[in-house]
Amino acid sequence: MNRSLSFAGMQLLDRRGFLGQTASGLGGVALASLLAEERLLAAEPIRPQVDPATPHAPRPPHFAAKAKNVLVIFCAGAVSQLETWDWKPELVKWDGKPLPGGPEVTFQGPAGNLARPQYAFRPRGQTGKMVSDLIPHLAELTDRCAFVHSLTSRTNTHGPAENFLSTGSAFDGFPSLGAWVTYALGSENQDLPAFVSILDPRGVPQASSNNWGPGFLPAEFQGTTLSASEPVRHLTVAGGVTPAADEAAQRLLKHLNERHLAEHPSDGALAARIASYELAARMQLSMPEVGSLADETPFTLTAYGAEDPNPTKAAFARNCILARRLIERGVRFVQLFNGAYASGGELNWDGHHKLKEQYDRHAMILDQPVAALIRDLEQRGLLDETLVVWCTEFGRMPFFQKGALGRDHNPDGFTCWMTGAGVRQGVSHGATDELGVKAVDNVLSLYDFNATILHLLGLDHTRLSYLHNGFERRLTDVHGHVIREILA
Amino acid sequence: MVAAAEGPPEFVRDIQPLLVQHCYPCHAGEAAESGLRLDIKSEAFRGGDGHGPAIVPGEPMASPLVRFARGDEPGFEMPPLEAEVPSLNDAERALLTAWVAAGADWPDGVDTATLVDRRDHWAFRRVSRPAVPVVSESDWPRGPIDAFILARLEASGLSPSPEADRRTWIRRVTLDLTGLPPTIEEVQAFVADAADGAHERVVDRLLASPRYGERYAQHWLDTVRYADTHGYEVNTERANAWPYRDWVIAALNADLSYDRFVREQLVGDAYGLDEATGFLVTAAVLLPGQIGADDASKRLARQEALSDIIINVSDTFLGLSVGCARCHDHKFDPVSQRDYYTLQAFLSGVRYEERPFFSPAAEEARERVQELTPRVEALAKELAAIEEAAKGNEAPAEPPPRVAELEAEKQRLTQQINAETARTMVFAGSFHEPDVVRLLHRGDPEQPGEELLPRSLSAFDQQLTPVALSSNASEQTRRLALADWITHPAHPLTSRVIVNRIWQWHFGTGLVESASDFGRNGTLPSHPELLDWLADWFVADGWSLKRLHREIVLSATYRQASEPVSQAAVASDADCRLLWRFPPRRLEAEAIRDSMLAVSGRLNLEMGGRGFDLFGSRGGLSGFPPIETFGPEGRRRMIYAHKIRMEKESVFGAFDCPDAGQTLARRRRSTTPIQALNLFNSPFTIDEAHAFADRVTADVAAVTAESDSEGNHDRSEQLVRRAFEVALTRLPDEEEQAAAEGVVHEHGLAMLCRVLLNTNEFLFLP
Repeated sequence: MNRSLSFAGMQLLDRRGFLGQTASGLGGVALASLLAEERLLAAEPIRPQVDPATPHAPRPPHFAAKAKNVLVIFCAGAVSQLETWDWKPELVKWDGKPLPGGPEVTFQGPAGNLARPQYAFRPRGQTGKMVSDLIPHLAELTDRCAFVHSLTSRTNTHGPAENFLSTGSAFDGFPSLGAWVTYALGSENQDLPAFVSILDPRGVPQASSNNWGPGFLPAEFQGTTLSASEPVRHLTVAGGVTPAADEAAQRLLKHLNERHLAEHPSDGALAARIASYELAARMQLSMPEVGSLADETPFTLTAYGAEDPNPTKAAFARNCILARRLIERGVRFVQLFNGAYASGGELNWDGHHKLKEQYDRHAMILDQPVAALIRDLEQRGLLDETLVVWCTEFGRMPFFQKGALGRDHNPDGFTCWMTGAGVRQGVSHGATDELGVKAVDNVLSLYDFNATILHLLGLDHTRLSYLHNGFERRLTDVHGHVIREILA
Repeated sequence: MVAAAEGPPEFVRDIQPLLVQHCYPCHAGEAAESGLRLDIKSEAFRGGDGHGPAIVPGEPMASPLVRFARGDEPGFEMPPLEAEVPSLNDAERALLTAWVAAGADWPDGVDTATLVDRRDHWAFRRVSRPAVPVVSESDWPRGPIDAFILARLEASGLSPSPEADRRTWIRRVTLDLTGLPPTIEEVQAFVADAADGAHERVVDRLLASPRYGERYAQHWLDTVRYADTHGYEVNTERANAWPYRDWVIAALNADLSYDRFVREQLVGDAYGLDEATGFLVTAAVLLPGQIGADDASKRLARQEALSDIIINVSDTFLGLSVGCARCHDHKFDPVSQRDYYTLQAFLSGVRYEERPFFSPAAEEARERVQELTPRVEALAKELAAIEEAAKGNEAPAEPPPRVAELEAEKQRLTQQINAETARTMVFAGSFHEPDVVRLLHRGDPEQPGEELLPRSLSAFDQQLTPVALSSNASEQTRRLALADWITHPAHPLTSRVIVNRIWQWHFGTGLVESASDFGRNGTLPSHPELLDWLADWFVADGWSLKRLHREIVLSATYRQASEPVSQAAVASDADCRLLWRFPPRRLEAEAIRDSMLAVSGRLNLEMGGRGFDLFGSRGGLSGFPPIETFGPEGRRRMIYAHKIRMEKESVFGAFDCPDAGQTLARRRRSTTPIQALNLFNSPFTIDEAHAFADRVTADVAAVTAESDSEGNHDRSEQLVRRAFEVALTRLPDEEEQAAAEGVVHEHGLAMLCRVLLNTNEFLFLP
């Protein structure tokens, strides 16, 4: 613990260099001398040095990063691994039979009989990875992806599980992954928000703003929500103010604030507020440009499905194009939601009762646009510096719910994947048992998954921390191991 | 290092270097991973969380140290790959095994560290009143506070700043104590008050104002993470939580003594104050039906709901983070896992649910329901009779007017009954037979251990008589006993923690910066003697918060100017921990919104009751569309807004409004372009700018109508002067006047008003 610095000093205002050292680690000799002082922490925290006037200025990672930016594709509602990426041929044989020794009651109620995967699987690409027909476009990309089939969550309830996936805590009130990343690294583009969350056209995800909240980190690291159809709020002035009046008001405000600053020199907070209005003015210019798809070619629009007769698919496809435009302009962290809140599975992937009927519709919305997005990033060379993560909060049971045609929540074994910068291509890591009840081979937690994301960004998850209520808080709490098997 | 010598391995020569290289990176010093330290003999033999003794002499294959180092235990291979620490080679493993087999001889006195007594910590010692220090600049202090502050400044070679002018001080103290700016008339009256005691009169007026309770209640609600929705999964409306919010405001306005304030929040039901126990259930919670149907999910949800109560009690009142001891002994503080569960046993009968409310207002509401119900029943009968009579009739094209009249009355009364019925319920502590509390291995309800009974934290047994109850102690007895223990005048934390919070709310930073963590991982006090003097004085004086405020805001320390005049001080203490000036700071979201309304003349001062809406939904899943324009109800003080957990208000939320997810010791003050967009462009700002302009125009018209019979000539000079007076409680200088008049001429007064509401001067506590 470095107690010689104040909280404010340590966390924000201090202009001293990084407290810790970078990746080199601690050598044996240095270690012994540190031990002698009895000051050793297992991992000395690294609290990024944030200048309040430019909180999003780029900051160096802990060690050489493989990825500069991140795109997280977040499928809300818990996508069934059994209908997508986790092929369970045994389940076909067991179709209609009870699971021997299985639970009588799961999250939503009594368990029914085992049910075969609802879609056919076939080998894909060079690796021959078995992927279902539910997602034919995404299935073509499997050679590029690293699948983790053995993930586990701490909770089987959507809200807490989305919290856990996005913040590393099942509780409300912890900083989101995007907030941690922008706190650590700032952003390459000072005219746009560093962290953007693009909401699904059907609505907000279950845990809503927790997924992009700053928790106890400063508010500047909160995700800015927008979508292709809903721009940033208050980007233009309300109530019929003319551009000339607006400009005059901006000038007068600057004038008054600068006179005030002259009387209070060396007050960083005052200077930062003046700077924030200048940043806001730059955002007013840059946001409409990034949000407009007018300069996209007909070929691109068609490839993404942006002009599909299904309005939800078209709107989601436009969000996908927006995601690419943001990444292209150096936005550090883009979170793209597919699916909204729990709604009997109507608006997201929560297929409790009519799984196949609903998944047919949901997959139509997800599949082509996201596949086009990844290909587009690749073609523009952006996949070399962008990490793409596909995730969902947990998986689903191999049996149907009693009296229903859908699967209940299963936090004990599910699949997420990554592709892009620093990710090993065409690998499948970990496994669930032969029926997909739970992870049995290389069992991993979402702590590990998040630790791996930070690692690819050049961040040591054990050292990226923030002191809050007496705890050196981390995204991965006191857990997490980088999943080295999926690194390039 | 591996050169094996003759005979059995020797600890210092063969084993300790091996531990240093391979184990100490994670298992030495304070941050011992999994509670295991291998740099101290007793700790090494005791072992870490959940694996028992790490070393069993003579039995290497039963010693986790050996098994893990040899990789015999899947999932616990040590050192883990992740740690980037070299693994032991075969020779080293053999050495370690041989050493344990030979009896694990670890001589005394060779450890690289010594175990400190974690109970020996400044904040856990009893409070005693230190002598007020003697200072050189002896005419500066106005009281003991100033003497302590000045002594520390002098010791650092610094001196205090000059006193702020009266305009600045009254603006500061008014914003600070009420969350609203002073009026220009209040400023002028104070500036002109040459008689003795002018400052005291201002402070007494402000503390007597109901606005004080509204302001300081907001600080308290931050600390306890109050909200009007349940959070989590579906974030549904918590419709009747607000009586707790109103109780906090009323308690502060009445200057309820702090020990009583604490006691009522823990056990208000014993005093006929059910609503005060809303404190116990402020956390987010999963309601029945939102939890999995399986028993394990239910047990986990229950344990988490209880943990949140423990966290609220310990963080808020004791400034001690006990929550982590649910899963393992506290890493820094003398709080064992056992302590955690004995504390939980005081509170294990508390449940989160709406329940009948017993208060005079609720009784009145019940009576009204009883009065109104027969009338509605009579109306229903009458309507049924008319319908019956009409049945035989062939051609009643329209119902007789009488029916419409009766229907309307019935509907009106039914609505009234529903509203009154809502007032008979409250979301506050609901008390049941206490759950049996067991020590849970790793905090997991599926791994219960021995049963534990209510007992006060053992680390304080020297300072306070321990409180221990038997298993048959009733639910309320348990909470009463806990309240007795926490509010004991000799409790070393309770008084220190609250005087520090009050100090923080005045100066922006506490004497202890980590206001909810006085433990060993918290920060040390900048002025330990002052903290103790205040704590001791506060208790001796009868725990009065208002007298504490008065002592602070009338001090010379608080009266200092905020301009950073001394470069030496800026260089050596930029954070102003030593208080060589008053540290200015940006107002909080609520104070900004309230102040804008105060200036526009549209602030609605109606107090209490059900919260007004900032969103189109009061809870639930389908999102929270923000309301952008407001009527009079929406122009109440923001503390009366219906607070949606985890959802930030669309304009002011960006100003670091807490989300009520976790207890919050201290608000952050970030600066973002989103704040600028919101405050400069939102419909709220533009609406209030217009109202502000109308108000200024009316003010000027009223004055000029008296003095200027010609009328109708250009009044922009007066308009600009008045707008500055109202917003900033000062007149513009020449240059400002000219620039502002230019904007008023070209673009109208509302544009100037919009600018003033965005100035740093308007938004900062000066």
